[in-house]
Amino acid sequence: MSMTASQTSKRARISRRGFLKTAALTVGAFHIVPSGVIGAPGRPGANSRFVIAQIGVGGMGNTHLDNLLKFQDEGKVRIAAVCDCNENRLEAAFRKTKNQATPYLDYRYILQRKDIDCVLIATPDHWHAVQTVHACQTGKHVYVEKPASVTVREGRAMVDAARANKVAVQVGAQARTAKGAWQTCRAIRNGIVGQVRKVTCWHYVNPVDEEPVPDSQPPEGLDWDLWLGPLPWRPYNIRYEPGTFRWLLESGGGNIRDRGAHQFSTILWCMNADQQTSFTVEAKGREPAKGLWDNPVEMQVVYQFKNPDWTLVWGQPGDKVGQTEFGNVFWGDNGKLVLEWEGAYRPANPEAVNFKLPPGGKEVYRTDEYEDFNMNHKADWFKSIREGHLRPAVDIEIAHRTATLCNLGNLSYMLGRRLVWNGKKEEVVGDPQANRMLGKPQRYPYCL
Amino acid sequence: MDATMTTNELRTASALAGTACVIAEASRAGPPALKPLAALLTDPNVEVARSARRALYRIIRNAGRPGAAREARAVEAELIALLKSDAAPVRREVLWLLSEIGGKDAVAPMAALLADPEAREDARCALTRLPGDRATAALKSAFASAPEDFRFALAESVRQRGGKVAGYPSKRLIPAKQTSVGQAR
Repeated sequence: MSMTASQTSKRARISRRGFLKTAALTVGAFHIVPSGVIGAPGRPGANSRFVIAQIGVGGMGNTHLDNLLKFQDEGKVRIAAVCDCNENRLEAAFRKTKNQATPYLDYRYILQRKDIDCVLIATPDHWHAVQTVHACQTGKHVYVEKPASVTVREGRAMVDAARANKVAVQVGAQARTAKGAWQTCRAIRNGIVGQVRKVTCWHYVNPVDEEPVPDSQPPEGLDWDLWLGPLPWRPYNIRYEPGTFRWLLESGGGNIRDRGAHQFSTILWCMNADQQTSFTVEAKGREPAKGLWDNPVEMQVVYQFKNPDWTLVWGQPGDKVGQTEFGNVFWGDNGKLVLEWEGAYRPANPEAVNFKLPPGGKEVYRTDEYEDFNMNHKADWFKSIREGHLRPAVDIEIAHRTATLCNLGNLSYMLGRRLVWNGKKEEVVGDPQANRMLGKPQRYPYCL
Repeated sequence: MDATMTTNELRTASALAGTACVIAEASRAGPPALKPLAALLTDPNVEVARSARRALYRIIRNAGRPGAAREARAVEAELIALLKSDAAPVRREVLWLLSEIGGKDAVAPMAALLADPEAREDARCALTRLPGDRATAALKSAFASAPEDFRFALAESVRQRGGKVAGYPSKRLIPAKQTSVGQAR
């Protein structure tokens, strides 16, 4: 899978200019390279040293790059490239790798490199699907930040691309490999509070852009066209970037798509409900009265599942039960169990930590290689590649279903009506307009 | 809001009573409010423009609810008329509004903007979102007469909708932008 040392050395001696020239000549070949040829996915040796690139190095991308550097120190990966559409961030990441990783502004140079096995994508949400699908199509294994997608159709395309190209796609909702969530999961599944009928979430409200500013020229070093990527073109505004894309429905989707991607993933895991893909969803929220950001300030979303029947409530702020800024409560026939910060940054409730499996109880699997849950989640991804099953803990199908909850919550809010979701057909029952909005055409050439 | 309120009256009322609430209220008037609200999309006061945009979306999303076909068609007719706006930002936004609610009648006027250098990419995206053969045919037809640089994008849309196009392979995976970071090595 990985290059030999001599191959790597030879690659390193090729000048960047020479590489780009070669790359330009081979561009046309992309349309005839069969899926899965590059990197022979799924068949690495037990001690593979993955050649990896990171796309998006700001924000959470910093944590990811730190993790990859640790894996590199352990001889488990070689960081071949870093990429960002902001040259200031790119420069910082390049230096962090001690100038060893090749820096790119345009992620597609990374996809052209046949020596790269895996990519880690930590760009804003509106880029996740496009970059994941393209990476799959060029035979790369993918770790992509949560939420998986900003539309349902994007999520489905990601699943299809992973399967068609036989690569592993892990999504960065780390709870399913974190100890706290795992302790809660095994306790809930084995009846610590009896049958759970309802799960409620609390989270602080979305912020309001209280000091809106006019559009302006993008700052030096930022390629605004690349930042926008699939989104319709519009002028730069500092309220989009840096770091505030989260507060716009189309690029970030607010807390329900950000922290919701963590919480819903964990809740579905605890409820053993990954297969319960059909539900109804009804959202209510208060639109901000000012500013560029358009996510609802307060928001309540109610999801109803059938067979077994249970209710999931997203509350923003909701009824805060725990001590920290977000969490959820499992309400069972015999009591309740609280989980804060999806059991990753915070430990599980002591009742879950001390829970002993009853006779005949079922254990829950999780990868347990690192105490640090961010490291452990990546270890789980590498493991799925090494072992060849290509189904990491938060496989893209699972993450797509989680993101569907988030995206339909926002869609119900935008449309101001209850939606009936048929998970098998992936369509809203009897609502043509809602179905049209399950996808959004993307600006060329940044499209699926 | 009075359904007959003009853009200027709306702008004045906004200034007096607080932008967002007045403009949000305007959306209650439904289709008759579309024209005055669209005129505010280019207002120099960014808060007025943003509030107008949100009010427009509120109208079309309400009109698109199940069982409101007549209201949806009334909204569509108003939006089609607005495609002739002199202001490119208005034409572009109206295309996206139509992408959520436009029917057969919207196809030809939307397709006409595929020849508009300032709005053609939005027109392509919006048409790609419309269901039905008519939209596919419009994209194919535009491809035949489009400038060379725009044909690649149109070819992508036609292929997405199941059509076949000779030549013009996708440029999705072709890198185009280089960095100066690390060049000193």
